[in-house]
Amino acid sequence: MTKRIPSRIARGSAELAILALLAEEPLYGFEIAKQIEAKSQGALRFNLASLYPMLYELEKRGWVRGRWEANRAGRDRRYYCLTSAGKRKLVPLRREWRFFFQALDRLAGVARA
Amino acid sequence: MRDWVALVREGLGNLDLSPAQQEETVAELAGHLEDVYIELRAKGHSESEAVDRALNEVSDWGKLAGEIRGARREEGNMNSRTRSFWLPGLVSLTGSMGLLMVLQRLNLQPYVSWYRAEVALTFYLPWLIAQPVFGAIGAYLSGRSGSSRSIRLAAGLFPAIAMLGLFCVTLLAGVFVERNAFIWHHLAYLALTTGVWVVTPGIGLLLGTLPFLKTPKALLSQPMVEN
Repeated sequence: MTKRIPSRIARGSAELAILALLAEEPLYGFEIAKQIEAKSQGALRFNLASLYPMLYELEKRGWVRGRWEANRAGRDRRYYCLTSAGKRKLVPLRREWRFFFQALDRLAGVARA
Repeated sequence: MRDWVALVREGLGNLDLSPAQQEETVAELAGHLEDVYIELRAKGHSESEAVDRALNEVSDWGKLAGEIRGARREEGNMNSRTRSFWLPGLVSLTGSMGLLMVLQRLNLQPYVSWYRAEVALTFYLPWLIAQPVFGAIGAYLSGRSGSSRSIRLAAGLFPAIAMLGLFCVTLLAGVFVERNAFIWHHLAYLALTTGVWVVTPGIGLLLGTLPFLKTPKALLSQPMVEN
């Protein structure tokens, strides 16, 4: 069973996680939370309280855009998609995290732990 | 099924956004809770268990409201800390100090207790009795702006906190600037004065603040609504 990542670390990675998911397809909040949990194999979990302030912040920065649409069950949900500014942001963000993990690995041997 | 929209609306309070943005936020968050509930029910959880676990998505509605307000509001408005702490705290402080000044203007005689027959400790009983009202005002105004529990508490206790700050400044000025020997020889008196002007009103303020530290009623006891 995968251990869950502590919330203080998860919060820092939320920006990347959300932008990376939305780069694949538009999703609404609940779907974003479910996909983050599923794709991280349960290591990352965002609840309502941790997810939406981040989504709204990303929207204010102009990296994502929300739009009301009906989901498969016919209920109106606010779907988020990546804007072109968000796509441009995702590239350096991925690079920063890769650099961060490499630095952490050199420092603490994270990959061999 | 629960009325998730009403529940979220009460939990978030006034977000100080445009009416359209407020309603949109409420609808979106209610939809999320509804999805959590539906998923849990589909997995075989009981109604009450599904509701409880959906409600666990948010542990502090005040904090969430503050974060959403900060994230959604356009720049340039009064910042969240001013609205949720400084303003309510200053209203509470002004009310409390204003009443004290009025009582003194009216020449109301305080109850006096003597410390070693040297120093008088004065208690303005009507002022002390009124403190819960000012604590309640501070906490209420803070809560209305969607603050977290700890900010509501701090706003309610603000007059006592300000008084403590004033005491500390006076004490430091007495010791280091005026080189006042009286302070060193009467430390017990200082402690008693702090008790009279900080701790006692602080307890009164706390009593008024407590009812506003509770989670909104709807989140605890909203009746089930049949679909």
